[in-house]
Amino acid sequence: MKTYFIEGQNLIKFYNRIAESYDLYVPKKIESPSAVKCEYGVKLPEGDYALKKYSQIGGDEIIFNDYRTIEPVRLFFTHFKEKVCDYFNGAESESSGAKPPAICGLKNCDLFALKIQDYVFLEGNEVDPFYKARRESALIISGDCPNFKEVCFCRAFDIDPFATKGFDFNLSPLNDGYLVDAASEKAQDIVNSIKEILLPANFGQLSGRSAKRESVIKRMDEHLSRHQIPKKEILKEIVTAGLNSKVWQEQMQTCVECGACVFGCDTCHCFLLTDEGHKDTAERLRVWDGCLYKNFTTVAGGANPLKMRYMRLRNRYIKKFDFFIDNLGFQACCGCGRCIEVCPGKIDIRYILKRLHDEKYLSAV
Amino acid sequence: MKNIYRPFEAVIEDIKEETAAIKTFTLRPKEDFSFATGQFIELTIPGVGEGPFTPSSDPGIKQNLDVTIMRAGRITAKLHAMKKGDSLGIRGPYGVGYPLDKFKGRDIVIVGGGVGLAPLRSLLFALFSDIQSYNKVVLRYGSRSPADIVYKDSIPEWAKKEKVDVLVSVDVGAPDWDGKVGLVTTILDGMPVDLNKAVAIVCGPPIMMKFVTLKLLDLGFKPEDIYLSMEKNMSCGLGKCGHCRVGKYYACKDGPVFTYDKLKDMHDIWD
Repeated sequence: MKTYFIEGQNLIKFYNRIAESYDLYVPKKIESPSAVKCEYGVKLPEGDYALKKYSQIGGDEIIFNDYRTIEPVRLFFTHFKEKVCDYFNGAESESSGAKPPAICGLKNCDLFALKIQDYVFLEGNEVDPFYKARRESALIISGDCPNFKEVCFCRAFDIDPFATKGFDFNLSPLNDGYLVDAASEKAQDIVNSIKEILLPANFGQLSGRSAKRESVIKRMDEHLSRHQIPKKEILKEIVTAGLNSKVWQEQMQTCVECGACVFGCDTCHCFLLTDEGHKDTAERLRVWDGCLYKNFTTVAGGANPLKMRYMRLRNRYIKKFDFFIDNLGFQACCGCGRCIEVCPGKIDIRYILKRLHDEKYLSAV
Repeated sequence: MKNIYRPFEAVIEDIKEETAAIKTFTLRPKEDFSFATGQFIELTIPGVGEGPFTPSSDPGIKQNLDVTIMRAGRITAKLHAMKKGDSLGIRGPYGVGYPLDKFKGRDIVIVGGGVGLAPLRSLLFALFSDIQSYNKVVLRYGSRSPADIVYKDSIPEWAKKEKVDVLVSVDVGAPDWDGKVGLVTTILDGMPVDLNKAVAIVCGPPIMMKFVTLKLLDLGFKPEDIYLSMEKNMSCGLGKCGHCRVGKYYACKDGPVFTYDKLKDMHDIWD
């Protein structure tokens, strides 16, 4: 991996070069509808970022996002709703020749989440061809987090607010520009074509970056210390021990079954194959699905192992902290906090995990 | 690259009415297709959707397959309205099926409930075709009423086979029924098997599987020798869509058949 320095004013040239070869998406500042305020009185940013097509935003709107975007990155790899096949007479649709996606503004939480998506869609008995094509062709441009939101809790699970692998490019804001890590051949090809604006980083710049990263970690750890989120090593233990905890029913009181927590989640992956059309026009769609929905596990005839809402909430935690730890070796939660800020019922994963921890370790029973 | 979501076409060759709510469809796949007994397929009605079903025919027959289906929901109601010559889609086979190698030389107890006899019929055919490898086959089948019994013509034929012992019971009798009456658990006592070398394979509604499992444990079967069909809500059949999770497994990929020792410590497995 090589590291370069680019002047802030040249970022647009860097993007322009990428947009020549890729369908580039970049973060844009947007109005935040539902910021979660820090109950401990710490002033934390409340604005939001969303990924927009680079070709559709103005030059003065180009910014670096200080923390993750509102939408989960999986949106780019398994679309919310997409056609996966025609029926018997339809020809298999070939790739349209469109440019592969380049996604800028991803954070380390998103890259962690991609490990779970990769496991689901690229490993096992069969490979998802749509995911594979996009994943292999995409250019991933991540960035350090010089700041964090109230709901961010990556560090609780030892995930750093900056990436050191899992990207093609990584941007670290420094002084009047950015350090640019180029980690892949695809990235190096781009660097080679715009060498005039990318200067090899010097020792001073690299140590400056390390200092900035340490300072964010320190601030974030201090923020998280108030929430007392359990460490990743005991997540499986506390969730399986807490199957009969009252916390599930208690926290479910405000759930309106909107599914925002699963659709906002970076690591959720469930989907449903469904059909549309009739006879010759029939086609199969793959749409995102979620275990908080009532009929997620209902079988023909009506039986439903997850018939109560609290069972469905609990199921989500079992999946993330028991199933994935068993099968993949780590939890399917990257600490992005999206589920917390999108929930109209204010159901907070940090609180539930802490409760499970306390019931296991602090209860007098 | 292979599109894992795309079914291939199969034509309905024959439809046999088993009971008022259950039909056996004989399908002729238009592509090469074979399955191991206990594996399942995703059966598609284009434009309507798909559902998981375990073939009920002899896995040794390659040119067609039977699927025995009870009308229970949206997809099965549409399936029951279909006619000979209509087209369906098939994906699969999926899952791991019954481990026949582990059954060799043993006494095999097969307990079916209702339409749960369908996958067991396929297993019976597989056992019959290699009967010298097995010590004994004991079939115990329970049905709600005499009219609800599936494979009415075949069961007496199976009972005549060498090394095969068959007993059928119904929950509620009828004037012309002179067989056993009572839940299937009531015909599990006194089975002519050596418990030291017996395995049991169970398929039926969850409540039936629960009580049959408890009965088999009472009789002395070991948890690792009780094979249960965990048929959950499934969508993809590939271990990706997330619907059929059973503990740390997916029913579609790691099952649908599990031995009881893998399930016994999980909560709510019978729901």
